[in-house]
Amino acid sequence: MTAVANGRQSSARGVGFGADTILGILLVSPILLTMTALVFYPMGRTIWDSLHRVNPMQAGTPFVGLDNYVRMFSDGQLGATWTNTLIYVVLAVAAETIFGVLAAALINQVKIGRRWILAAVILPWALPGVVNSVIWLWIYQPGAGLLNGILSAIGLPFENHVWFNDRASAIVAVTVVHVWRMMPLTIVIVLAAMQSIPSHLYEAARIDGATRGQMFGLITLPLVRSAIAVSMTNATVNAFNLFDEAWVLAGSSLETRPILVQIYLETFQNLRFSYGMALSVSITFVSLLVSLVYVLRVYRNTRFD
Amino acid sequence: MKTNFFTRLLLWTGLGLLLVWSLGPIYWTLASSVTPTEDFSTRPIHFYPQHFTFDHYARVLGISISRIGGVEVWKQFRAALFNSVVTSVAATVLCVAISALGAYAFTRLRFPGRQMLFGLVVATLAIPAYAVLIPLYQIMIKMHLVDTYVGVALIYVSAYLPLSLWLLRSVFEALPVSLEEAAQLDGAGRLFIFFNIVLPLAGPGLAAAGILTFLGAWGQYLVPLIFSPQVTKPLTVLIPEFVTKNFIDYGLITASGSIAIIIPALVVIFLNRYLVSGLLAGSVK
Repeated sequence: MTAVANGRQSSARGVGFGADTILGILLVSPILLTMTALVFYPMGRTIWDSLHRVNPMQAGTPFVGLDNYVRMFSDGQLGATWTNTLIYVVLAVAAETIFGVLAAALINQVKIGRRWILAAVILPWALPGVVNSVIWLWIYQPGAGLLNGILSAIGLPFENHVWFNDRASAIVAVTVVHVWRMMPLTIVIVLAAMQSIPSHLYEAARIDGATRGQMFGLITLPLVRSAIAVSMTNATVNAFNLFDEAWVLAGSSLETRPILVQIYLETFQNLRFSYGMALSVSITFVSLLVSLVYVLRVYRNTRFD
Repeated sequence: MKTNFFTRLLLWTGLGLLLVWSLGPIYWTLASSVTPTEDFSTRPIHFYPQHFTFDHYARVLGISISRIGGVEVWKQFRAALFNSVVTSVAATVLCVAISALGAYAFTRLRFPGRQMLFGLVVATLAIPAYAVLIPLYQIMIKMHLVDTYVGVALIYVSAYLPLSLWLLRSVFEALPVSLEEAAQLDGAGRLFIFFNIVLPLAGPGLAAAGILTFLGAWGQYLVPLIFSPQVTKPLTVLIPEFVTKNFIDYGLITASGSIAIIIPALVVIFLNRYLVSGLLAGSVK
């Protein structure tokens, strides 16, 4: 201890070892306090309470073991919402990745005004999710909505089509809003990776007579693969967290209800607190697991190349 | 690079589509917000306003209300706008202040549990909000903080602190330590160095952390839906309430939506550079 203290420069002005330690603890104490009270403790509480029966309408909180988890398997509504969430995840991640990478490649080609194009593209992400959702609610509106307006303007019989009448189109409609909001993240991440590719690689390829398509497939894509994996992880977590779009566009409709809306309904309408917590624990687990799969796959792929 | 006409055409078509996709819905909101209600029922629809009116804005903001009449929403709307600004600004200031102090301690000072605490805090980035929401609700009820500015702002701080801390630590780590050492030799104390040397240099990083926190807090829905149901209700909770089962007042929705998107839009347009750097730092967690 003293050796360390002597080794460092200590002075009377409070720069020494002891002073640094005290100051350090002082400076991080707000973080420690906030995170303990509002994140760490509630997190432990979620796991602990998910093993009990917690319901404000019933007295006592008896220990029920894994009952809350076992109940999930016989919960028909839950099965439907899990299916919906998985469909959202697959559709959203695929659309955001494919169109996001294409969009990033397009923006990467632009030399002038790229800053402004990027600002325009990021804008949907920065807006409140519910406001995006009411905007699209208006676009999807059967009578005077923009979507049906465009479709009938080009001669298709969609004037009074109701997009939320059947499950498939309702789910796609919710996904489109989510993709509109989240794709900018993919574009920003992938574009940054594309801009860090040294230009001499492209020059060498051009001298060898490669076409644009070949350059994209053989230079750009392999070099932005880890950025794509990062953006896919983000996209997955965000799609698992889908709430605002489904809630505003279709309310509690079971056909489009994602798992998060189910948690909200079970907890704050049916007041089954501990069941809601068990659901939260399991979806956290699944979303972490899926993200982990991407990360591992990318690492293995890059190693074997 | 030599580009033929066809490639250039493809490029510009693609960019055009991308811009229409990104800005189209926003244009349509702004256009609808200045369209008189009667015009919403014309068929086929027009893609730009045929008549121009500020009535919807007058209704939500409560300007010359006697002329318009109808549903009185302006009191609620003004309160919600005020609440949104107060909670987001408070959360941003508090979050950036706390995380800047902490990030400096985590980069330059040695104290027991340093690595572990940092690791724990940053690890919560991977934990979705709803994993803590229900116990948080019980805590807030017990402490009488439901529907108060303090309660909601504190939840936002705890939600965006890990990202902000992660971002600021990488910013501080990139600053040259020699400057601080020179100041130390001149007899400057740690806090003097922090406020007069480190903070001014870390300006862009602080801006990025602040922007991410502000946009996140401004757009929150699930948290205020549970924690600010009445008095502190923000815009994001109020606007969907205009959508009722039987009647949807699209003028009201598009006008209030336009107001809610002005601030984030200004941030994106003028502070885009910081925002992008923050997004990149945050995504590579």
